Amino acid sequence: MSSRRSRQSSSGASRITDDQITQLISKLQQILPGTRIQRSNKASASKVLQETCNYVRSLHREVDDLSDRLSQLLSTIDSDSPEASIIRSLIM
Amino acid sequence: MSASQQLTPTNPNSALKIRLAYRFLLTLNTLNAKKPPNFDHTQIHRRSHRVKIAAYASMASVVGPKRAWSRAILWKIRNRGMLARNKKRIHRISTPIRLHRHHARRRRNPNRVVHVDPFVNSGLEVKLRKLVPGAETIDPCGLLDETADYIKYLATQVEVMRNLVDLYSTI
Repeated sequence: MSSRRSRQSSSGASRITDDQITQLISKLQQILPGTRIQRSNKASASKVLQETCNYVRSLHREVDDLSDRLSQLLSTIDSDSPEASIIRSLIM
Repeated sequence: MSASQQLTPTNPNSALKIRLAYRFLLTLNTLNAKKPPNFDHTQIHRRSHRVKIAAYASMASVVGPKRAWSRAILWKIRNRGMLARNKKRIHRISTPIRLHRHHARRRRNPNRVVHVDPFVNSGLEVKLRKLVPGAETIDPCGLLDETADYIKYLATQVEVMRNLVDLYSTI
């Protein structure tokens, strides 16, 4: 059933989805870090996708690294220092 | 009073950052309150894992159920006990079933490639589907949209964590 639906929708609307896809890819391109000086519109979609994959992977690695450091800092800071109580009052 | 005045957002990105930071600090605080700090080596490793889960959980709960990736993250975190227990069972029982499913998908895929763009069903899209949570079964347009949204929130969450690390390390 789902294959029938996709065949009907994509065969009739394949040109529309082309534009949509190029729009979405250019949107992705703007979000990605890198040379923010004029990005050529003809940057291939595969390049953008590859950069996206790499960027997501690097973000995951950063989250791991930062959570390591945060947990170490939290274990050392869990005393009743005045700054910690300020942070706690901000949360509460 | 002055602190709350300073916190009023001037652009949407800083407003998002404040929401993420608040939620993350809340989750961290409940995490700290639960178990006392241990200086054991294994406990620190477990703690960093919990901090990581708190980061993803707080990020996903700020978004709520509006997005596929946030729903997938919240589901995974809430069911991680069940998933960990069933990991070995699933591997043993469903690997023959998985092979059948792969064959069935390959029969469908060559038909799809003809109709949709050639680059969409490339290896890159498969990689992206693995990286973005909850993106296994979305159509290609939705996949790109989800990726953009996920990247936006994830990058802001990383910024929040970086600022926290800087703040804590200067105390």
